[in-house]
Amino acid sequence: MSMEEAFALAEAEAKLKAALNECQARFDKAKMPDRRNEDWRFGRPHVYAKQLVDTITARDNHNYFERMVICDKGNAATRLTRDDDDLLQTEMLMQTIGSDALLKRHIERFEDGYSLYIEEDTTEVIELVYETRSFCSPSTFIMVAPGVKAEVHIIYSCLEIGNIFAACNIQVAAGAELKVRVQAESDGSDGRCMIITNIQNMGGKVMHLTEYRGLRWAREETVAELYSPGSETKLFSANRLVGDSVLDQHTRQIHHVGGASSDLLYKNVVDDNATAIFAGNIYVAPGAHNTDAYQSNRNMLLSEKATVHSLPGLEILADKVRCSHGSASAPMDDEQLFYLCSRGISRRDAQLLVADGFLADVLNKFHGESQSS
Amino acid sequence: MSLVIKNLYARVKDGATILNGVSLEIPKGEVHAIMGPNGSGKSTLSKVLCGHPDYEVISGTAELDGQDLFAMSVDERSRAGLFLAFQYPVEVPGVSNANFMRAALQARLPKGEELDAVSFYKTMRSTMAQLGMDTKFTARAVNEGFSGGEKKRNDVLQMMMLEPTYAILDETDSGLDVDALRIVSDGVNAMRAPFRSFMIITHYKRLLDYIRPDVVHVLYKGKIVRTAGYELVEQIEENGFDFLKTEA
Repeated sequence: MSMEEAFALAEAEAKLKAALNECQARFDKAKMPDRRNEDWRFGRPHVYAKQLVDTITARDNHNYFERMVICDKGNAATRLTRDDDDLLQTEMLMQTIGSDALLKRHIERFEDGYSLYIEEDTTEVIELVYETRSFCSPSTFIMVAPGVKAEVHIIYSCLEIGNIFAACNIQVAAGAELKVRVQAESDGSDGRCMIITNIQNMGGKVMHLTEYRGLRWAREETVAELYSPGSETKLFSANRLVGDSVLDQHTRQIHHVGGASSDLLYKNVVDDNATAIFAGNIYVAPGAHNTDAYQSNRNMLLSEKATVHSLPGLEILADKVRCSHGSASAPMDDEQLFYLCSRGISRRDAQLLVADGFLADVLNKFHGESQSS
Repeated sequence: MSLVIKNLYARVKDGATILNGVSLEIPKGEVHAIMGPNGSGKSTLSKVLCGHPDYEVISGTAELDGQDLFAMSVDERSRAGLFLAFQYPVEVPGVSNANFMRAALQARLPKGEELDAVSFYKTMRSTMAQLGMDTKFTARAVNEGFSGGEKKRNDVLQMMMLEPTYAILDETDSGLDVDALRIVSDGVNAMRAPFRSFMIITHYKRLLDYIRPDVVHVLYKGKIVRTAGYELVEQIEENGFDFLKTEA
């Protein structure tokens, strides 16, 4: 290497290093999402999902299709793991953090997530695992063919200080049955996670469960859209919040047509200084008669400093519907605690038993009563 | 060795005084019946002894084998050997009977020792069979959706599993049909032993015909007003409590 070439290389390396430092500085200054940052208050998952799919499918290149995992009988049990450590640099380029930036990010890096086309019944659970120690922003796309039954387990794992901002788009065809269990977890003290989900039900049955564990901050925006009579969508969530953690859940059940049903049951056990926020809405479009739609948010408070904000809502523009919504937040029942303690179980263990029992109701409904024991 | 209650005064928290100087001694190996009209304080006595948070002791003492009962927490009293079969057993949604019993038995083991799951289920199933309970109740949530009689049987099941040294049965006979009453009584009688005693709270002679008490007490207006043998049960069955009221 000549002297000139060596200088040029050193100069290039210095420039690259400076650029990376600049990115790092921007990243350090970037405001992390929290419940006081209004940019993050109102999400539009159904809009994201539509734009996302439109953009991806309209692309000239066919990476999206090439990367799609086809699940059939020969590929029933799948554990797909993606450890996303190399994404930090792309994430640094985000000047602002907000919904639109997030959408852009998803479109840019759609391939970071998995796309599943489930065309035949699968006998075992399809497991998708996203792990990160930095930033991970995967988009998961699940399409289920008509009449097909399947179960998918998505695990978002924030290792150490890892953050995940995920989008998931689910399309279920007529006669199909899909169970999706979404588990977001952190093994550190600063894990944060945001999951935007859009479920488009075209006449099938969908059961969707979210569980958040050990995260300092988690935000969920779930929109369930029902497009055909006979569509049935059930949304569940079961969480135990401890420390200073915040769980901010926003849901919307949209009945575009009549004769479909949706049900939501979100339960939280809130301990220490933790905060649970729930804002739910059922929308019944004009003319969507014979709609069955329910929504229930239940919270058990284990500490005087625990906080719950619950805002269930209805927006009904059709006449013949059966809709209800409800919310209840209360401390643990003293009689139940006394009963358990009177059998020799310590107060703390009794609290844990009752809390687990409170959430077990949700898990049993999702998994089936057989798991109750 | 006995359960000794001395001059016990207790009230509903921030409310009326219910127990007005109860004194009672139940030695090990004996069955004592507590009878009395409605509102005389029978259930309050049982709850105060077990540490129900709705009640507070004003004065008096209670000792379990020489240990100060009121210095112990609710769970400590249970682990020390006290058991209460509730008048109205509580429903605990989501907690299965099996998990509940496992936790209760695990709490009695030394730290670090694990309950043997196989022998636990074996014991639970055989005890349930003894009480005529379907084994499906192991997986069902504690008392949730149980009939009145099933709840009472479930409490007796817990008693038989936990093997307390002092058991209080608060109107366990209410809600039981004739056959269930016999089965439950057989279970209690099978537990009678020189190292165990029972306090049986009831309104009716029929339970005491199955579980014959050694001593019968009448509680009235928060105080023991008479103590005698089984003949007192027959007297009450025949004449009611009116004659006692004049003595009080």
